[in-house]
Amino acid sequence: MMKRKIFALIVILAFVLSACGGGSTGGKTVVRMWTTANPAFNAGYESLISAYEAGHPNVDIQLETFDYELYLQTLQTAMPAKEEADILQLFGTWTSQYYERLAPVPAEVMTVEQARETFYGAPIGGFIVDGVLYGMPQEFNMEYGGVLVNRAKFEAAGLTYPPEWQSMDDVVDTAVLLTQKDAAGMMTTAGFHFTSADPTSFSFLAGIKQRGGDYWNADHTGFTFNTPEAHAQLQWMLDVVNAGVVDPVVFNDSTNFVIDAFFQGKVGIGYIGTWAIAEGQTNFPDFADKWDYVSLPSVQGDPVFVADSGWGLTVSPNSKYQDIAWDFVKFVIAVPENAGQWNIASGTIPAIPAVAESAEIAAAMPWVPKALSILPYGEYLGNMPDRDLVVYEIIYPHILNALQGVETVDEALQAIDTEANSTFR
Amino acid sequence: MKMTATHERKSKGGLAIIKRRFVAGVTVPLLLYESLGIFVLGWAFVLIFFDYSSGRLGGPILGLGGSNPFVGLGHFIEMIKGTSVEANLFRVSLRNTLIFALAILPLNLAITLPLAWLLETIGIRFKSLYRTIYFLPVLTSSVGVALIWMSMYDSQAGWINAIIRFFGGTPVSWLSDPHAGFAGVSVAMWAVILAYLWQDYGYNMVIFIAALQGIPQELKDAALIDGASPWQVFLKITIPLIRPTMLFVCVMTMLSSFQVFDIIQVMTNGDPGNQTQVLMLDIYKNAFRYQNLGWAAAESFVLFLIVMGVTIFQMRVLRTNWEY
Repeated sequence: MMKRKIFALIVILAFVLSACGGGSTGGKTVVRMWTTANPAFNAGYESLISAYEAGHPNVDIQLETFDYELYLQTLQTAMPAKEEADILQLFGTWTSQYYERLAPVPAEVMTVEQARETFYGAPIGGFIVDGVLYGMPQEFNMEYGGVLVNRAKFEAAGLTYPPEWQSMDDVVDTAVLLTQKDAAGMMTTAGFHFTSADPTSFSFLAGIKQRGGDYWNADHTGFTFNTPEAHAQLQWMLDVVNAGVVDPVVFNDSTNFVIDAFFQGKVGIGYIGTWAIAEGQTNFPDFADKWDYVSLPSVQGDPVFVADSGWGLTVSPNSKYQDIAWDFVKFVIAVPENAGQWNIASGTIPAIPAVAESAEIAAAMPWVPKALSILPYGEYLGNMPDRDLVVYEIIYPHILNALQGVETVDEALQAIDTEANSTFR
Repeated sequence: MKMTATHERKSKGGLAIIKRRFVAGVTVPLLLYESLGIFVLGWAFVLIFFDYSSGRLGGPILGLGGSNPFVGLGHFIEMIKGTSVEANLFRVSLRNTLIFALAILPLNLAITLPLAWLLETIGIRFKSLYRTIYFLPVLTSSVGVALIWMSMYDSQAGWINAIIRFFGGTPVSWLSDPHAGFAGVSVAMWAVILAYLWQDYGYNMVIFIAALQGIPQELKDAALIDGASPWQVFLKITIPLIRPTMLFVCVMTMLSSFQVFDIIQVMTNGDPGNQTQVLMLDIYKNAFRYQNLGWAAAESFVLFLIVMGVTIFQMRVLRTNWEY
């Protein structure tokens, strides 16, 4: 009887231990890696994992993927319990929220100075908090600077293709001709869909910068959204809506999201970052219209814009194999060939200038060379107390309210300023 | 086979041991499970008094203190008179939750009780068929129901707008127009209320059918013989006799409508302009999207107090002191 109990206990312990993950199996060191369930991204990771394992036969890197929302929840529950994976995919702007639970990059892997020299300023900015480097970026996440254009709609409207826009007025003029409504007055094709959350928010922020303003106070301890530059930019956005190129009630983030709407043929010009291309191609493989990704002129002056870093990799301070984890991260991100391979697989703009300018990238992603001229103008968004809260619950909803006529421009800016500053505790 | 007295005593002793083991085997896991629940509730209660985020390390004891500071009743004060985005969204969410719950209860009763009564009057052959048809949406997942209604409400390709167009009317953006409304409530809120009602009404209908079947036929017959009309029988006999069931239905419907989440998250995610943002959705976003667990715990506590208050009120108003 006692033997049976001991045997049962051993079996249970074996299950528990195996479920705890990590560790060593079959003579190999198992390193766990968590990412969001983006098929294009993870295809890139899988091939690099295979390459790394081929060079390190004693290492087994196990990729575990989660849907976006589930990933956030898993990080929040696993981190306090110290049960997170060894390697964590993190969006750069999240670092300022999680840095207390992340391992700093060891100096022998990469110093802050080396990181600043290696990567574009905007993507690396997200991984540095209080002068400490907590990870490395894999992409330059650009929500500003380019648009998807539907060639078939241009040709049907008798417009020149590819478009040669000198100013945003030209874009609006083109969009007016691309817009279509049904007999009942419902907009069926948005000429210029810029009213999803990221394009709206980031064109607002870029507009403030291009007009010579800033949304940060001098020492970055508060926001300044109720300024003449912000007012001018929001009024300009409202004027574009009033020109009739998009109905923000029918085309917004929850209804006719720009990627879905564009790849369903409901949009002439769709404002979105280049990351949307891979997602659109994956989700809408039957979309037959010819399309391209083209640069957008600035609203005023130099094409200064803000970017919120990009996806990258970090390492858990609770990992027993931090040395292997950092070695893998460096292999994936800091080796230019590997970084480029991942960018091509994921359809993202490289975070390393030399990779972005390479012939391989130009051949695989013809839209990247078009973006190169403005990449140096990219500034990091800044370490907000909660980037998602500020962008998705404050900036976007109030701007959309203004564009939909629910709030005036002044009311929207006042609300954004008050609520955004309340996120500093 | 006869057992000796010793065998019998042993056997009884063995049975007692087995019984004790059985009781221990059942109750110990149950107590452990319950204590886990109490621990979770206790932890949530503690978080109410802290500005706690799981992304921050905080103090040495359970991460409380330090970068997760003690705020006392600060969350509740902020909810009442704060200007932060959390406070604004809480007040909007509370208002929307009350609208949702107060609309759902009377509408649900207005549909389910007459429908149950009608089903009781039709022939036995069709009774089961209709009961099954009406109950089917209850068995469907909320996400599936939400997707079906979303496709119907689609402003461009939905068949509701197709019908409106056919008759020459102006199509409506049912789930995204912040201007459209009826009786002071946004059209998007009415749209999700309708979808929720459709999914939920079969449950209450079946409960009412069971209650109606429990009313003695003699009471109705006696009333009819005394000259009462069918309407008077319904009003004076049926309704009073199903009051205990109505209490149950009211309490359960209120509870579930105060806790509505999935159907709204899928259909609108709180849009347009937070007009369908309800408390559960706000709690979810704060807890799991923005890691604002202290605030989310405080919101959950407020929701708990509201639900408890409403339940006690309903039990006071609808309780009966008799049986039949």
